[in-house]
Amino acid sequence: MKKKLLIMLSFLFVLAFSVAGLGMNFTNGKLRIDQTQTTDAATTTAENRTIQTKLKRWGYYFGNVDGIYGSQTKAAVRKFQQKNGLAVDGIVGPKTAAALGMTLSSSSSSSSQSSNDLYLLAKCVYAEARGEPYVGQVAVAAVILNRVKSPSFPNTIAGVIYQPYAFTAVSDGQINLTPNQTAYKAAQDALNGWDPTYGCLYYYNPATATSSWIWSRQTVVTIGDHAFCL
Amino acid sequence: MNNDMKAKKTTGKIRNEEMEYSSLKSENSSLESKNSAKSKQIRKNKAVITGLAITTAVLGLSTIGFGIGFAIADSKAMSYRTDLENTYNSNFYSLVDSVNNLETKISKVLASDSSTFQRKTLLEASQNASEAEVAVASLPLSQKDIQDTVKLTNQISGYTTTLADQLASGGTISQDNYDTLEQVQQSVQGLKNQLNEFSRKLESGYSIIDASMDIDAESNEFSRALTSLKDNNIEYPTMIYDGPFSDSVTNTAVKGLTGEKISKAEARTNLEKYFKSSADISFESETNGRFQTYNFRVTNSHDEMLYAQVTKIGGNILTISGAGTDGTATIDEQAAKQIAVDFASQNGIENATVVWSDTIKNDIYLNIAPKSNGLVLYPDLVKVKINMVTGTIVGYDATSYFTNHTDRSLSKGGLTVDDVKGKVPERFEIVSSRKVLSPLDYNREVVCIEIEALDNESTYYFYFNAQTGDVENVLKVIKTDNGNLLM
Repeated sequence: MKKKLLIMLSFLFVLAFSVAGLGMNFTNGKLRIDQTQTTDAATTTAENRTIQTKLKRWGYYFGNVDGIYGSQTKAAVRKFQQKNGLAVDGIVGPKTAAALGMTLSSSSSSSSQSSNDLYLLAKCVYAEARGEPYVGQVAVAAVILNRVKSPSFPNTIAGVIYQPYAFTAVSDGQINLTPNQTAYKAAQDALNGWDPTYGCLYYYNPATATSSWIWSRQTVVTIGDHAFCL
Repeated sequence: MNNDMKAKKTTGKIRNEEMEYSSLKSENSSLESKNSAKSKQIRKNKAVITGLAITTAVLGLSTIGFGIGFAIADSKAMSYRTDLENTYNSNFYSLVDSVNNLETKISKVLASDSSTFQRKTLLEASQNASEAEVAVASLPLSQKDIQDTVKLTNQISGYTTTLADQLASGGTISQDNYDTLEQVQQSVQGLKNQLNEFSRKLESGYSIIDASMDIDAESNEFSRALTSLKDNNIEYPTMIYDGPFSDSVTNTAVKGLTGEKISKAEARTNLEKYFKSSADISFESETNGRFQTYNFRVTNSHDEMLYAQVTKIGGNILTISGAGTDGTATIDEQAAKQIAVDFASQNGIENATVVWSDTIKNDIYLNIAPKSNGLVLYPDLVKVKINMVTGTIVGYDATSYFTNHTDRSLSKGGLTVDDVKGKVPERFEIVSSRKVLSPLDYNREVVCIEIEALDNESTYYFYFNAQTGDVENVLKVIKTDNGNLLM
């Protein structure tokens, strides 16, 4: 009987704390929108094939050339690293790649730039206008870029997007949703110079906008649910 | 018989005994059942007590748990709050510092007549102005309350840099510019007073976070408090200069549209010419901005949804926007280039040549520019996006063309490629060259000799002035994860 009670009590402890934990999460504010991020593998499938081919030719690897960086490949890389006086970690980094006589797409950071601007722009487009027609998404991206060029706004894409109160979807955290392919394409078009609004700096939804100030701006074009204005 | 009776008697006795026994038994069993009812009652009571104890324990523990949870959450929230308050304070004091410095620097420029000193100080002032812009835009202020300040700081930054450039190329500061600088100094002085007054508020415990939480539809308490200190007599000067953020470059006129104003129906007919009868075209809206257009939704023969804008004057297709289709490419780059040039030609842009191309996933972005008198006209650039899967145009942008295109009387300039080749550093390997009309900073068009050259694996474009041979611009091709950039 005592034993049972003990078990029950310890179970209750756990329960109570998990309830408390839930409460804690709740007090932290709204539910966080998780951003699923795919961690970049050190090497691509194509690169893995090259690695496997080379290691096979030099007698380090005996498996199939399948582009899968499995334990066999890893072991072969370790052996190669050991023989060639490299740090033995089983990972093909820039140094090991150089010793293998290949350059990695991810390591050529000196020549390839990550497209942060595109990513930020796509994020903001997706958060603000994912329900809009394609051209409406291009237009939202164009407004952000017009702001960057305008003297009345910050001078970088990040500065414009994260300017306090500038975009509701940034304030409420929707900015951290993962953008879809359409948002990327729209952002890319805007970066390439497309601007169906011809220099607009603002947009609003006439059905929901409450600010009287925004209504006083000159509307250039209405696309989907958004009125774009100067 | 006797025996029989005896036996009967005995049996009776036994029966009696049996009966006694059974009555005893029944007594016993009733006692037993009484007993079991009692123990049941006890068990029941025990269960109730245990239940109560458990409930109390659960409640007690959850209360403790919640208490701890809230305490942790609260201390976390407090630390976030402190971090944010600190960030806001840091931005605010940076703003005060940069505005104070900016005011001092401009005063110094006005007090000096040494062009070397002026140039150095103007560049520092420009730096202070950009810092002020970054700081003010990071504060929780509504856009409409701070846009004047952001504009002032951005323009001062561009203006002072332009003046410094003038001094660097041997010029002087004109009287007009001195007058403008004096006005600028006064505006900055006003801003400085406003900010310094506000910083006294912060010293007495004003919380930017608390004030910024007090929001109504258009503004918050912090915005209102800061702007209420603004001296309404401050006038923001108009700064016109050939540099970034100048008032002169924000509104460029449209030079390239000619012809009659057309009707909506004619605009639709023009679109039908390109998209043929297989397309579904419906009117969407009109654009009334720098360009006046009729806007249509077009579903082409591949079921791709496009949006096309046709100019009211001249009836030219100005833009097409569409997402394109994903899949396997059916056309190559060469075919795409031909489609782009043909399309432009059908739309009145003759003699165009592809000057830049970049493939991103299934779409190829092509920049084409018309040629005139042997010169590639970069200001009249047209951008075309072709989907390699369907082989159709899913993007088109002729705004630069229709903004800039006029009949220019251009001379090719005196110099040839051989004259300027030597100016490309030796380590570069020259790939190609041609004569171009290059749009340089702020509405300046210059005939240049363009030389494409390789350094290691990087591609550069050099632009030499075809009259003087001076370097006007250098562009580098930047490889990114998503296509190439020219910077």
